[in-house]
Amino acid sequence: MNLVDLHKKLEENTGLLIFGILFVSAIGGLVQVLPSIFQDSLSTPSENVVPYGPVELMGRDIYIREGCSTCHSQQVRPLLAEVRRYGPYSGAGESVYDRPFLWGSKRTGPDLHRIGGRYTDVWHRIHLIDPRSVVDNSIMPGYPWLAERDANAKGDIELRMRALRRLGHPYSDEEIAGAAAKLEGVKEIDALIAYLQSLGTTRGPGAVR
Amino acid sequence: MADMPASFWAGWIVVLTVTSFAGLAWLIFSAYFSKTTFKESAEDPVWDDNLREGSHPAPLWWFWLIVASMVFSVIYLMLYPGLGSFAGALRWSQGGRFAESVSAYEAEFGGMRKLVAEAQLATLHQDEDLMRSAQRIYDRQCATCHGYDGKGQANLFPNIVDDVWQWGGSPEQLEVTLRQGRVAVMVGWQQVLGDEGVEAVTDYVIAMRDGNAAGHPGQAQYMQFCVACHGPGGAGNPVLGAPNIVDDVALYGNDREAIRYAIVNGRNGVMPAFGERLDDTQIRLLVAWLTRGTTNPGN
Repeated sequence: MNLVDLHKKLEENTGLLIFGILFVSAIGGLVQVLPSIFQDSLSTPSENVVPYGPVELMGRDIYIREGCSTCHSQQVRPLLAEVRRYGPYSGAGESVYDRPFLWGSKRTGPDLHRIGGRYTDVWHRIHLIDPRSVVDNSIMPGYPWLAERDANAKGDIELRMRALRRLGHPYSDEEIAGAAAKLEGVKEIDALIAYLQSLGTTRGPGAVR
Repeated sequence: MADMPASFWAGWIVVLTVTSFAGLAWLIFSAYFSKTTFKESAEDPVWDDNLREGSHPAPLWWFWLIVASMVFSVIYLMLYPGLGSFAGALRWSQGGRFAESVSAYEAEFGGMRKLVAEAQLATLHQDEDLMRSAQRIYDRQCATCHGYDGKGQANLFPNIVDDVWQWGGSPEQLEVTLRQGRVAVMVGWQQVLGDEGVEAVTDYVIAMRDGNAAGHPGQAQYMQFCVACHGPGGAGNPVLGAPNIVDDVALYGNDREAIRYAIVNGRNGVMPAFGERLDDTQIRLLVAWLTRGTTNPGN
């Protein structure tokens, strides 16, 4: 069959055209996406990487809700300047339990992937409520309401953990049953701080100084 | 499917890439050089008198553009990783590039950084460039808590430009503080002292500061519970991080309420550890920066 006839056939048969378009555009996905789903090195947790505990998990959901990832990335790229500034570069195995991942690509504020332990809890608390009280020239908005609301106000922490377990996070029944108790009396700000303090506490593959 | 070996997927990528590349090449070449032409028939629509479904290929410079990009992709896939597990002739990798930049950095600055890390503090104090570097490290790493002017912030993060040091201000003590961090361990004394005891000891501490503590009713409990860390005269002990409570510097506030709060609830100020975040040179520079007043009184 010559090309002109093929072209004519495709143009005159909408179903065939749709199929052709889908087939051609699927090739990129078949090459790029499909093999990486089966690539063990991308789905094996790095050493010391465990699923988030209930407090950290709730803090992470608050982080997502408040849109922190709009201004803060969570990936240290394998570039000397970034590693010297933020710490070891990020590895795929560190994000195994991040659903959805929060790597981001926009840094209005600094990267947060190695923030854990860099500041004290009390600094985070002051800074989240009113950033300019500790960093004069900060343009970050304050989040004072986090200090007033209970982290588990909706009482749905178990559902959140069950949903993640269905996706493959190894939560035990005991962990899920005890989750609500761990969030007893925990304000949103405490949960968010616990999450921030847990970030990057496992060292990635670029652990060089 | 999940147990397919890595080599299967490498082959999968190669086959798909090469096949679709070949298909694209066939498509482009036959579109431009196909001998067969479009057979016009009377049923085909005609617009503007002579415009009809045609088989004229796009302008020839499109062809060359596409050929050029195909040549580029072949060269790229030969040089760089992309075709399955083929690493490319240049053996380029992200990790390799990073390692190279680290060793280039070491080669260029390693010697000088080592000199700085081992230099005498007095020498560092006199080097204006190094002191500016030190200040930049301070601004980046320390100022968010201690303030850009070093005067502390929020009644929580101590002033580091006065001569009062909770954990000691010698270069050695400062280096330990920077590397390992510090955690203050004052517990709350409400349970032990009871309501009356709390008030009595609070008053006693204020009386000590004001210099008229003799025979004060809070003295007995102070001497029993507080003296081990803060000392009989209240001068504190930098080894334990127990502050002097009779000078006029008080991190959390000097009024009665602040002192009472500390006695009731305790205080657990934390300085994070920077031993993993900063290297020896940076820590040396920071120690020099923090002690710069000692050999440079005019500063």
